[in-house]
Amino acid sequence: MISIKNISKWYGSFQVLTDCSTEVKKGEVVVVCGPSGSGKSTIIKCVNALEPFQKGEINVDGISVGDPKTDLPKLRSRIGMVFQNFELFPHLSVTENLTLAQIKVLGRTPDAARDKGLKLLDRVGLMAHKDKFPGQLSGGQQQRVAIARALSMDPIAMLFDEPTSALDPEMINEVLDVMVQLAQEGMTMMVVTHEMGFAKRVAHRVIFMDAGKIIEDCTKDDFFGAPRSERAQLFLSKILHH
Amino acid sequence: MNYNWEWGIYLAAEPGGTGIYIKYLVIGLGWTLATALAAWVIALAIGLVVGTLRTTPHKWVVRLGNAYVEVFRNVPLIVQMFLWFFVVPELLPKALGDWVKQMAPPWGSYLPAVMCLGLYTSVRVAEQVKAGIGSLPRGQGMAGTALGLTLGQNYRFVQLPQALRIVLPPLTSEFMNVIKNSSVALTIGLLELTGRARAMQEFSFKVFEAFAAATVIYLLTNLVVVFAMRALEKKVQVPGLISASPTAGAH
Repeated sequence: MISIKNISKWYGSFQVLTDCSTEVKKGEVVVVCGPSGSGKSTIIKCVNALEPFQKGEINVDGISVGDPKTDLPKLRSRIGMVFQNFELFPHLSVTENLTLAQIKVLGRTPDAARDKGLKLLDRVGLMAHKDKFPGQLSGGQQQRVAIARALSMDPIAMLFDEPTSALDPEMINEVLDVMVQLAQEGMTMMVVTHEMGFAKRVAHRVIFMDAGKIIEDCTKDDFFGAPRSERAQLFLSKILHH
Repeated sequence: MNYNWEWGIYLAAEPGGTGIYIKYLVIGLGWTLATALAAWVIALAIGLVVGTLRTTPHKWVVRLGNAYVEVFRNVPLIVQMFLWFFVVPELLPKALGDWVKQMAPPWGSYLPAVMCLGLYTSVRVAEQVKAGIGSLPRGQGMAGTALGLTLGQNYRFVQLPQALRIVLPPLTSEFMNVIKNSSVALTIGLLELTGRARAMQEFSFKVFEAFAAATVIYLLTNLVVVFAMRALEKKVQVPGLISASPTAGAH
């Protein structure tokens, strides 16, 4: 589904990604973790071309992301993305947030878009808030709306960029619950997160990154059981300490 | 100071034969508003486009926008007014230039004044629009892009509606500036409010009364603008969204 081959990326002369390769199969849930600045957010933003990369190749469902001839808006509309800071559109109501791209990008009728959006809003348990504006919701609620907004486009895969990092602790679980449910339904997911509980519960594979390189790329059991690299062992011992 | 105010002068007939002085001044206000409003429409249209273009990822488009802004921002308004009135008609194709020069008054002054004020103000609007878009979190544009919106759709539906709400208060100042700046059009012979106050002073020698009236009329006009824009700000306010308006609660 998503294949990343030997990609490298530079900001000016500073190299943020070095020769990264991995593969995400259909229905697979891959957690990407690592210390801050390790390039984990950058790599998933390369997958839907929010960030350009200078070397290597990424294919999503057989379509090359780096090819200048690729219709990027169309490709992006098929990949859902959830951001650390939710990024709901604050000037639009919850319902309008859910329908805007369905109408403008997919060409759905306003009625069809509304039906679809409200169904997903119900699924994340926020039907009562359909006419509110993002600024009137809690962080956890906003992030659930953001997930529903991404799902409303019927994506073939979902990318999560630290979806719970900006949340108060008591709101993390309501978002993780939605993500766990999604994983269990077979959604293809790449999740950048520090939530190791989530990784243990639903991830198939874990990728550990440091300084722009993929250090570990192994099954969940291998990663939590016996990570090969010293760097990953150190990272785990620090974040699993509590 | 010993000055004998003669308030009755407003009701005296002006020598041009159009009626009493106060009517003469109010017609001037009409020309001030006609000039300012037409210029404001041009300024908003161009400013919106140029300001937006300057935030696009296309390097050459940004440079072109910057060049436009620097040209109109760095030349004094009165110089631009003279350029539009004396120089531009000479640069046009001969037939068009002659037509402009032979336009009956006040149109021969009105048209250059509107063009001048419109473009002069457009770069100020462009600056505000650019700043507004720049003040949005980078993730907003990214979220629109990630959903598959094209660059144009992203501006139209995601970034501009937010940016314009943010820059509404500074745009109010620009709107008031265009009304006040229209007084410079008197230098190319447009008899707007200031021009008429000056004419009244010359006819009647009542300089205090003439400019007292102009001052009060400008003041009242701009107060109307302030209240209208505040009402607009209130109308487009989004529930729960942080707003620049002082009426919003502390965040």
